[in-house]
Amino acid sequence: MGVIYVLLAISICVALVFFVAFVLSVKKGQYDDAYTPSVRMLFEDEIVDSSTNNNQNKSQTE
Amino acid sequence: MGTNYDKYHMLLANSIPLLWEGIGKYVMQNITCYHCGEDCDTLKVFFDEKHFCCNGCKTVYEIFSTNGLSYYYDLQSSAGSTPNGVSGKYDFLDNQEIVEKLLEFNEEGIQVVELYIPQIHCSSCIWVLENLNRLHASIKMAQVNFPKKKIRITYDSAHLSLKQLVVLLAKIGYGPSITLDDYTKKQHSVDRSLLYKLGVAGFAFGNVMLLSFPEYFDHFVSKPGTTEYWLDQYKVVFRWLMFAFSLPVVCYAAKDYFISAFKGLRSKLLNIDVPIALGIFTLFTRSTIDILLDQGSGFFDSLAGLVFFLLVGKFFQQKTYSFLSFERDYKSYFPIAVTKLNDNGHDENIPIHKVKTGDRILIHNQEILPVDGVLISGDAQIDYSFVTGESQAVHRTSGDKLHAGGKQLGGALEIEVLKSVSQSYLTQLWSNSAFSKNKASEFQTLTDSIGKRFTLSVLTIAILATVFWLFMDPGKALNVFTAVLIIACPCAIALAAPFTLGNMLRIFGQHHFYVKDTNTIERMAKITAIIFDKTGTLTSSSENTIVYEGMELTNGEAALLKNTLRVSNHPLSRSLYKILKNHQIYTLDGFEEETGKGIHGKISEHSIKVGSANYVGGKSALKAFDTSVYVSADENYKGRFVFKSKYRSGLATLFKKLTKTFLLFVVSGDNEGEKYRLKKLLPFGITPFFNQKPEDKLRFVKNLQQHQKVLMVGDGLNDAGALAQSDVGIAISENINVFSPACDAILEASKMNRLSDFLWLSKNAVNIIKASFLFSLCYNIVGLYFAVIGQLQPIIAAILMPLSSISIVIFATMGTTLLARRLPTKN
Amino acid sequence: METQQFHYDNKIVQKFLYATMLWGIVGMLVGLLLAFMFLFPNITDGIPWLSFGRLRPLHTNAVIFAFVGNAIFAGVYYSLQRLLKARMFSDGLSNFNFWGWQAIIVAAAITLPLGYTTSKEYAELEWPIDIAIAVVWVAFGWNMIGTILKRRQRHLYVAVWFYLATFVTVAVLHIFNSLELPVTALKSYSVYAGVQDALVQWWYGHNAVAFFLTTPFLGLMYYFVPKAANRPVYSYRLSIVHFWSLIFIYIWAGPHHLLYSALPDWAQNLGVVFSVMLIAPSWGGMINGLLTLRGVWDKVRTDATLKFMVVAITGYGMATFEGPMLSLKNFNAVAHFSDWIIAHVHVGALAWNGFMTFGMVYWLVPKMFKTTLYSKGLANFHFWIGTLGIILYALPMYVAGFTQALMWKDFNPDGTLVYGNFLETVTQIIPMYWMRAIGGSLYIVGTLVMLYNIVRTVRSGSKVEDELAEAPALTRVSKRRVAGETFHTWLERKPIQLTVLATIAILIGGIIQIVPTILVKSNIPTITSVTPYTPLELEGRDLYIREGCVGCHSQMIRPFRSEVERYGEYAKAGEFVYDHPFLWGSKRTGPDLLRVGGKYSDNWHLNHMYDPQSTSSGSIMPAYQWLVRNAHDRTGVEAKMKAMISLGVPYTDADIATAQEHMAAQAAQIEENLYTDPEFARTYEADKKYAQENGEEFIEMKNREIVALIAYLQRLGTDIKVKETEELLSQNK
Repeated sequence: MGVIYVLLAISICVALVFFVAFVLSVKKGQYDDAYTPSVRMLFEDEIVDSSTNNNQNKSQTE
Repeated sequence: MGTNYDKYHMLLANSIPLLWEGIGKYVMQNITCYHCGEDCDTLKVFFDEKHFCCNGCKTVYEIFSTNGLSYYYDLQSSAGSTPNGVSGKYDFLDNQEIVEKLLEFNEEGIQVVELYIPQIHCSSCIWVLENLNRLHASIKMAQVNFPKKKIRITYDSAHLSLKQLVVLLAKIGYGPSITLDDYTKKQHSVDRSLLYKLGVAGFAFGNVMLLSFPEYFDHFVSKPGTTEYWLDQYKVVFRWLMFAFSLPVVCYAAKDYFISAFKGLRSKLLNIDVPIALGIFTLFTRSTIDILLDQGSGFFDSLAGLVFFLLVGKFFQQKTYSFLSFERDYKSYFPIAVTKLNDNGHDENIPIHKVKTGDRILIHNQEILPVDGVLISGDAQIDYSFVTGESQAVHRTSGDKLHAGGKQLGGALEIEVLKSVSQSYLTQLWSNSAFSKNKASEFQTLTDSIGKRFTLSVLTIAILATVFWLFMDPGKALNVFTAVLIIACPCAIALAAPFTLGNMLRIFGQHHFYVKDTNTIERMAKITAIIFDKTGTLTSSSENTIVYEGMELTNGEAALLKNTLRVSNHPLSRSLYKILKNHQIYTLDGFEEETGKGIHGKISEHSIKVGSANYVGGKSALKAFDTSVYVSADENYKGRFVFKSKYRSGLATLFKKLTKTFLLFVVSGDNEGEKYRLKKLLPFGITPFFNQKPEDKLRFVKNLQQHQKVLMVGDGLNDAGALAQSDVGIAISENINVFSPACDAILEASKMNRLSDFLWLSKNAVNIIKASFLFSLCYNIVGLYFAVIGQLQPIIAAILMPLSSISIVIFATMGTTLLARRLPTKN
Repeated sequence: METQQFHYDNKIVQKFLYATMLWGIVGMLVGLLLAFMFLFPNITDGIPWLSFGRLRPLHTNAVIFAFVGNAIFAGVYYSLQRLLKARMFSDGLSNFNFWGWQAIIVAAAITLPLGYTTSKEYAELEWPIDIAIAVVWVAFGWNMIGTILKRRQRHLYVAVWFYLATFVTVAVLHIFNSLELPVTALKSYSVYAGVQDALVQWWYGHNAVAFFLTTPFLGLMYYFVPKAANRPVYSYRLSIVHFWSLIFIYIWAGPHHLLYSALPDWAQNLGVVFSVMLIAPSWGGMINGLLTLRGVWDKVRTDATLKFMVVAITGYGMATFEGPMLSLKNFNAVAHFSDWIIAHVHVGALAWNGFMTFGMVYWLVPKMFKTTLYSKGLANFHFWIGTLGIILYALPMYVAGFTQALMWKDFNPDGTLVYGNFLETVTQIIPMYWMRAIGGSLYIVGTLVMLYNIVRTVRSGSKVEDELAEAPALTRVSKRRVAGETFHTWLERKPIQLTVLATIAILIGGIIQIVPTILVKSNIPTITSVTPYTPLELEGRDLYIREGCVGCHSQMIRPFRSEVERYGEYAKAGEFVYDHPFLWGSKRTGPDLLRVGGKYSDNWHLNHMYDPQSTSSGSIMPAYQWLVRNAHDRTGVEAKMKAMISLGVPYTDADIATAQEHMAAQAAQIEENLYTDPEFARTYEADKKYAQENGEEFIEMKNREIVALIAYLQRLGTDIKVKETEELLSQNK
């Protein structure tokens, strides 16, 4: 059953990688604002209508 | 199909009242403004076949539609706010030195600024504010933080100055509020250490628990004393892995408990952290020894679980209302800069810290006096209600002395400065000791009080058990000693308060009663006396009742009066206009206004004069305490409208409920004008005190505190001292985005009559905490039984520890939620 | 820091969408064929590359890695660019990812029917394709991380976290489960043996399948459901908490596929505990998804996309509730090896993965082709017929699972089995297989209707071109990375990161060497009587693997009275120390074969393989006539034995030297046994005479494939059984 060493080692390495990712993401302030991203992802404002530059959203939503 | 967005509303928690109102409006079939949803009965503006309540809304609509931002109205209908086009409000941003202070980042043409915009309330606001680059090319990026109602804008400073940016925002109805506070505050870095600790503890707890299960399972499966063939080989690996995981938990995650325990011991104060730290330490050392000498699998999972639950409790307790600030002082009420007249005639904006005695400064309409000074010229109508409590606007002539903090209602004033900002009369108040003391640290919470008795009893039991075992079987003595310390660790007790009070904090928040921290709720439970301020707290500062005394006006005179009032924009005439019944609108032949005196309107042969007593020519018989407006038609005196401040609804019932359990006092900075009406409201035997200066209020609270626990309810800057001095200070505010002084809790004015319910709830919350203490004691007793007889296996600790914590948490949260259910939700 | 204009890459998304629909139909067709093969076993009579054993892995790989895989790539490539406001890191990598993945699928579609399989479930592809999968997957990961590094939106939306987690964990799982020693170009032996191979396989099986089918789809749910409902997700904070709680301890799952097997008890119980805990994060995700639709439920009534997504999320809730229940030991005792597991898999796959993909397609295609869907009616029709299909698939399988499992355990008062013959339990559930086939066809009809609907929509829409978008570049306020630098030059500027990555690279290299040594050492033979397979039996085992017998036959007798009574002594861990790869199997369409050695005569096996219905009437086993006719190429046995030696199996050099003679002798012995049956002797001599007359080349029976297979089948489980009976005899003397 030596494979338990292998499985343990990998599982803990992957878990540690994600733990470091957790610390980094908290440090970089990913979770400071826990509400606006859920609304921001709904906007498709950055799509620029190549033909007319301004009312791109009008045409896109119709 | 999925994409063509139909008109459905984007329901968001805090926009529901707006929505409710909106629907109410439609039902009543009158037209509402397409932009801001207010009903536009006064003057209707029709543009692009849509109704607008004012030109302001129309211009904003125009700006949006021309710049391709009309999606704003699809996302959420009538989400806008009317731009209050007070020009010159942001002139202080011309001054580079102020701008430098407000900017967060300023290098080679790129500037980043973070502004607080109170009007943000729905996803349309987020959408339009994040698309500012369509309004002005040099705005690069705008990022909204909805909970904090803040926006971080990055823009190219070569083509766009901060002032132009702010004016642009004000033009579309999202004027940021920039106060002295932003000017002086340093860049505070966000403290995320608790989140890291929670992450470490959670990570370790999850993995250690899984690593400890094999030994537990094997304990049941194979014959006692033997372990399964393979497990025997890997037991050591699992144990040392558990040790490795628990190391960061003890050294980093539980660091605070060791520090606060050490501080407690050094100051001879046995708080709850002492037994916790003791428990964690023994858990760790005992487990390490166990795995070193292969006596057992160690208590690592109970250790990690304990620390994790404690940190979750602390995190749950730390809930803050990010869009509110409880530490506001005069700085966030005063303007940032003021226009100074230098001798060569032209004026420039300087930060108010630079204002020296002897300078001449110009105060515009609706602006606040930052310093004490002498009036040189201009008609001074100063409203001191917010600062000293007098509800009536004070009239001053040139040469009189003016205090800082008043708001000028009339035209522009020229003032010579007597004292600089920090020395002026009002700001002296903030040097008072009341503001420096930290109430939370002085108050000994219930949990800490338990701590002392708990530690002593645990230690005595441990010593007794060890002595007992020393005779019976010395080998087991040390084992029993450590076992008692481990199992008696007050994890459940330490969780009771945070979860009960944390949950109560959230429930209060849902009822628009925002409390600063859980410690305040505990202090509220101990209150015995309540002091109310009158102006702005018992009376609502926005509307007031108007009574007419004098001869009846004929129909023609009333119509003429209504039309003359319609033209003037003096605050009193506007509130009077709203009250009078509707008459047919027609334009006057002649109209003139003398600032500070009154207005005069003429139509065909009739004329009417409205204004102060001597302007109208009426006899000013008795010294009127209340603001009153005199009317004379065709030069003969008719009568006067007396403005009486309107008391909030439901005060009488509130006082009746409160007197049963609390001593009531009313302290007001106003004159006796309201004495009789107030007496009718107050229960028998309560005498209000009048003409109380801010220091008097503070002294009043201080000597009441000798033998009572005092709760102060106030709203203005004049109550700031009393609020700070009292055990618990509640600020009442009409609109939580506008300024309210430093306090422990902010109560929305509409929920004022629920104050007794909130006090009752906080008392019962403390009872729930006491109940959960008893509940957790029986767990401890069961645990101690095993520990004392020396049978404490890791598995038993592993079951008891989380079980006690989780059951206490559930008991506390359920208790508070059920308790709150009795609070009627409809206001 | 100026506002940059860039194009979103829509063409790659279009390609992946087409691939998704294509492979979806292919995978489902193979599945449907399999369903009908339960009813008519000999539909593809005599065609080796269309036999059930070889098609089952093709169905699972096609549906999981081709259909769901392409759907994930389509969804990720579309949503990632929009969430990060940046074009993919490099178009080259995107196209390499697409064409590489399709090439892998084609390679699988060729090698699996030809019998080149490692027999490890959901990892059946041979070692060259495994390497290709690893390379393409790393390319996908590199492309994704590159896009994240040059993003224009500072906040990483939760969906991006799920994509990252999928990439990292699936990469680790695939690499460690595909550690196999190549013997020839398309043949390899797993590095692990027996119990260990089982543990690693099902550690991969649960995590890869779950991670590949759940986590990326949760990411897609967090992007597409809010977009389709135009409502923010119910609680963004909950999605963050449920993500991190899922990731920190996720990778412990696996053993719940091996309950009551030869795995040590503590490992089994660990798997049970972990799986039961898994219900919290999974249901966190479901609740977050469903409650996102608060306020728009009336739109769900009319809009097919939302209907698909709602049923998808509900299906996910059901499957992730059923999973933990199934991993409780008493449930598992009934469900394991039965059709109940098939029902659980298909509720999850058809509802969650299938319907979420359909919802995504119905939402994406009109948007990318800038037109409206050709017909909403057809979309709603597809929804209803699809839902009916799922119900008609799952319910019969539940009933079949209960019936069969309980029949297996039924005892007469005197202690004998009520249904001694395994076949009785199979014929009992044929009607349920009928209903399952109908359910499956309904589902695929729905998919075909979708295909028609999408084709008409595409034809009516305008050509897909990359959408122009603009967003300000992220201010490098922090000094982390100046724009324009390639990943590598950035790396060189960072000495610490360089050393860390270098150590990781060395570590991985090291593991490849360390792992076999650890495993070999721990293979100490706990049961002395277990010896390695003889060369002929080894070749026979490879035939067993080639024909995919493990798809229907298990080799794991659980310590239950009913199974010991039916099959013999329950499996001990020590019996499998030389099994590279392990063949415990996960489904008992046919009886367990662990103790079949010596139970039937060689002739019975020959006749049974040639025509199963002749020896056991009503059997649904397909015929393997090509095994009886074809010559068996045994030249590679020495190479195989050398590979086994390096994996720890104690063959001596002498064994290798005499391998050919030993095989010939054993084969001759079997031929001799076959002669005992006069019927066989007559037909065999007649064939020989006939071949000599017309001068055709005649293959001796001992050189045919069937002989090697019989050798293996007769050896199965004999290491323990023989000794047992002798002991019993000696004891009561």
